[in-house]
Amino acid sequence: MTDTNTTLDAPEPAVHDHGGHDHHDQGHDHDHEHEPGSFSFGPTILLLPIVVALLLRSRWGFLEGTDVRLWSTLFVSVCIQALPFLVLGVTISGLIAVFVSPDLVQRIVPKRPILAVPSAGLAGMALPGCECGSVPIAGRLVSAGTPPAAALTFLLAAPAINPVVLVSTAVAFPNEGRLVLARFVASFLAAILVGTWWARRSKSSLLKAAGHLHDDDNTNRWRKFVDVASQDLVHAGGYLVVGALAAATLQLIVPRSVLDAVASNELLAVLVLAALAVLLSICSEADAFVAAGLPQFSLTSRLVFLVVGPVIDLKLIALHAGVFGKAFALRFVPVVFVVAVVSAVVVGQVIL
Amino acid sequence: MFFAGAMLARLIVSGGFGWFVQQRMKWPLIIAAAALILFGLVEVIVSWREESDTPDTAGRSRGPLVGWLLALPLLVLVSVSPTALGAAAADRVDAYTPTEAENPFEPIDASDGPVEMRVLDFLDRAMWDEERSLEEVTVRLEGLVVNDEDHTAGFTLTRFLVSCCAADGIPLQVDLHDVGGTFEDDTWVIADVRWIPPDIPYTDMPSDERRIAAKVVSLTEVPDARKDPYESPY
Repeated sequence: MTDTNTTLDAPEPAVHDHGGHDHHDQGHDHDHEHEPGSFSFGPTILLLPIVVALLLRSRWGFLEGTDVRLWSTLFVSVCIQALPFLVLGVTISGLIAVFVSPDLVQRIVPKRPILAVPSAGLAGMALPGCECGSVPIAGRLVSAGTPPAAALTFLLAAPAINPVVLVSTAVAFPNEGRLVLARFVASFLAAILVGTWWARRSKSSLLKAAGHLHDDDNTNRWRKFVDVASQDLVHAGGYLVVGALAAATLQLIVPRSVLDAVASNELLAVLVLAALAVLLSICSEADAFVAAGLPQFSLTSRLVFLVVGPVIDLKLIALHAGVFGKAFALRFVPVVFVVAVVSAVVVGQVIL
Repeated sequence: MFFAGAMLARLIVSGGFGWFVQQRMKWPLIIAAAALILFGLVEVIVSWREESDTPDTAGRSRGPLVGWLLALPLLVLVSVSPTALGAAAADRVDAYTPTEAENPFEPIDASDGPVEMRVLDFLDRAMWDEERSLEEVTVRLEGLVVNDEDHTAGFTLTRFLVSCCAADGIPLQVDLHDVGGTFEDDTWVIADVRWIPPDIPYTDMPSDERRIAAKVVSLTEVPDARKDPYESPY
């Protein structure tokens, strides 16, 4: 998770100097991946399997099989379709990291929870970025004095209802304008409900301060921008690939009769897609394309997929535990999951 | 990133992207490819300049392990050579059945011989046109051969309706009669056909039996499939 740290904090050598802040701890998860001196390691790793594959291409008959080729078409098409939106998203998140300070966000969000919760939700709308970016922002809002409930609302709303996400949803479902509206309403509703719940029942004792922002004015702006954008892209892109793999594989491996049976049972479809959303951890800028790739499922069950994914999935749970502490994650995660599913089903019934 | 951008650029130049996504994604893809290449270059330049400034940048984060998955689509592209959706895909999803369409349809001008029509429009007109405008005209359709066990009298002309990307493709199908021979799956053909009106109105049939049929007037095999093989819903 070092990457999400550096996403918004100024990138810097791995040795931070504020020990004791737990956001520092997250850094260790991935330390083994970038040993010092591994700078040129990346391209080599990338090229090797490509060369091997090219050499073996004619020998591996199964690569020419109809199902394998169809699978690869489905897989690659989801990746290609989502890519421009990912690039747009990470470009904007890079610009925000360079030009928008958390002070500014904090000045806009009111202090009183009753006002702060909905306005934080709306602030989420204005800040495009995927969920991995919004976790550190929310952490810094808390440490800067924003009511925790408002920061949580922002955390839930930002990745789900920002303009990039809504546009990509509209592109993925060109004939279903109502789905875009439903996604907006259901996600906003879920964020406000969870924020209000948190404002009422907690005195934020569980929420650890998430470390200070370090403004590194010396850092070259270009470098900061490219670092943030490229790291966001690598992170979000990686999870997108996982989602595309799963969607393509589901279409081909699972027998059509099973897929149809699950899809035609509404309750089962909702539960399966909600679980998938959590497991796949697809970036919110790309998840609509994966949902569009599951045409057997009803719109409502796909709405559940789109509402649950941005607020709760495996990578977010890991980020929550890292930024806000395990006790918080244990309480927060189940509540958010249930609220998101219920909100999506209810809104789906009304709008779709 | 540079690799991803370069690969994407190649797909755009060769037109191969049309197998995966709609044609209207061309410009967004061009911009994305340019941005990826630019990011890649700036990253290289910036880190190169910094390495000469401060020798101590080697330890900085190079992104999470999951990021390496980004290489997977590139790997698949070079090793598997994906194709456009075809007969294998038609077998996976229920074919399109026109749900509703607005009357009146625009009149058909058949004065110049066979009327070129999208398969989607053909299906919609066949099912819903109260004027039955298809009855008197020969229509030119383009699509793939799919041999279908439910329709052994000929083959099923198939074109895919893709709203967003190939993963959401739905087959558009017309059962062709009098095709004059056997054809292999996935052969690309241009067929001049006449609609065969059903014995009872489609709307009186159960929805999974509403198959639209046409009689072949003339049939031409096309050696290469189009670069933009899909129809879009609008």
